[in-house]
Amino acid sequence: MSATAPAGNLAASGVVPGFPVAGRLVARGSTALALLGALVIWLALLGPFAVLIQHLSFHSIRAALGPPGALEPLWTSLGASAVALGAMVLLGTPLAYLLARGRLPLARIVELGILLPLMMPPLVIGLLLIFLIGPEGTLGNLLADVHLTGVNTFFALIVAEFYEAAPFYVLGAHAAFASVDPRIEQDAALLGDRPLQAFRRITLPLAAPGLATGLATAWARAMGAFGAVVIIAYYPRGLPNQIFIAFQEFSLPGALPFALLLVVAALPLPVLAYLWSARTRSRVAGTEAP
Amino acid sequence: MNSAPTRLLEVDLVVERRQVTVKTGFTLDAGERLAIFGTSGAGKTTILESIAGFVHLSSGNVRVAGRLVAGKVKGETALEARYRQVALVRQPTTLFPHLTVEQNVVYGIRRSPARSRIAELLERLGLSAFARARGAALSGGQRQRVALGRALASPFRVLLLDEPLSAVDVAAREALRLLTIETSLEHDAAGILVTHDLAEAQAFSDQLAIIDEGTLLRLGGAHEVVLSPLTRRVAELVGYGGFIPAPSAVNMWFAIHPDRVALGAVPERGVVLTGTVLATRPFGPRYECTVREQSGQQFVMHVDQPPATGALCALTALDPPVVAP
Repeated sequence: MSATAPAGNLAASGVVPGFPVAGRLVARGSTALALLGALVIWLALLGPFAVLIQHLSFHSIRAALGPPGALEPLWTSLGASAVALGAMVLLGTPLAYLLARGRLPLARIVELGILLPLMMPPLVIGLLLIFLIGPEGTLGNLLADVHLTGVNTFFALIVAEFYEAAPFYVLGAHAAFASVDPRIEQDAALLGDRPLQAFRRITLPLAAPGLATGLATAWARAMGAFGAVVIIAYYPRGLPNQIFIAFQEFSLPGALPFALLLVVAALPLPVLAYLWSARTRSRVAGTEAP
Repeated sequence: MNSAPTRLLEVDLVVERRQVTVKTGFTLDAGERLAIFGTSGAGKTTILESIAGFVHLSSGNVRVAGRLVAGKVKGETALEARYRQVALVRQPTTLFPHLTVEQNVVYGIRRSPARSRIAELLERLGLSAFARARGAALSGGQRQRVALGRALASPFRVLLLDEPLSAVDVAAREALRLLTIETSLEHDAAGILVTHDLAEAQAFSDQLAIIDEGTLLRLGGAHEVVLSPLTRRVAELVGYGGFIPAPSAVNMWFAIHPDRVALGAVPERGVVLTGTVLATRPFGPRYECTVREQSGQQFVMHVDQPPATGALCALTALDPPVVAP
């Protein structure tokens, strides 16, 4: 009996029935093409970082960031993003969990509502937020009652960052919770856990890598939020806004030090979250020794 | 007022599924063990998950020690999962993948257990060497041992087992079955095993329920149901392979079991038949022959010495049960 490679393995074995040599060449060619494509995309994505480093000098950094108060936009961005992130975790986590478990009525509509800010241009969100939480807005009047103003305040900055970043966290958390088999939550409950205990002991640790990735993405979006921010929270000046202003006033060399500052401030958390979640995933999947 | 004494487990349920409506009812006392036997897709798993309280019942209810676990009863709230005293081993196995084998096994123990007791349980489960491994590093059989251990270590009164040993080596099954029965008795619990392996069902339990397409066809003693299946479908499900019209009654059949046919005519031991051997093949240490009986019905039989193919021979179906359609 002659052995025939199963159809699914043809590509892997590089054998095209009837044309063995040609088949092997095609397989090698397509692998090389795929590798080349991956390299081009990787270089293209990393290109801006390389250029940023190339065009910066120690002197220009000191000139831009040295004067007193120059780091103020950094603290503003860090503070607003941290608060926005806290709000996302607090409000977004239960929403994402309930969505993932199908316990919300009109779930599709709710999902659409979460996607909407993602689909709308940030500038448009900024304009619409003025109508919503600005002094003349519907919610604006209510906010005024508690001495909050929705335009050009720290609060406005938080709201603008929240709108730009929250969908990334909620969608990431939704996927993370959906990846946890609900039957093992039931198992934990049968074994004596209260619902919150089962969530803490089982769901959260298993969803943590996905939650961390969602959180990191949201953090990067919040730190870099500009479209809605420039409309509704021009002041207090956050880092993206500072970059824009420096660019307008001093052109590229003046803006680049702040760009570096933003990258340095925004990037470590996503990178750490990525590394941690990759390690945790491989540990649970058993591809790494415990 | 209902003055009947409370049974440990009372099940009376209807669950409507897309392919099949599952309908069953039975009760179990402390110390009793029931095996639910049927083909794949018959609704066995649905019954177990319903008893655990995780399936919406179309009607009926489930009670453990008199307390409502599943179903709707006016004026009563179903117990939260943690108070049900139900342990469930699922198929496919659901472990806590981020925890080690030992952490999985002790998960349901609320008071800190004695180390020696855990070590002994892991030893009996054959898991001592893997105590610090996580689920993903284990084989299918090892995962089943962990799931079984996790259930047995918890404080249950009702033990629900869905094919718990299907991936375990045959050689190790006996010890694990014994451990399960012992633990179940220590807890003064009722046990339900779902399986499509009849020998496994009989080895575990004293009662046997036959389920087909969601319906409970027969419930009785584990040996009695096999020896006296009453209907043709139950007989087919428990391994009877041939049906010969019974001359004494209209529309009734003698059910022929492959292991209960002897070569030669022995009228005092059963019904004597005459048949032609159509084919013979090895069957473990014995032989399996396909025979066509005079009425035209075919069946298989297991024998030590097979007659020649094509031979016409006298056979005795040993005390064959008579079954209705």
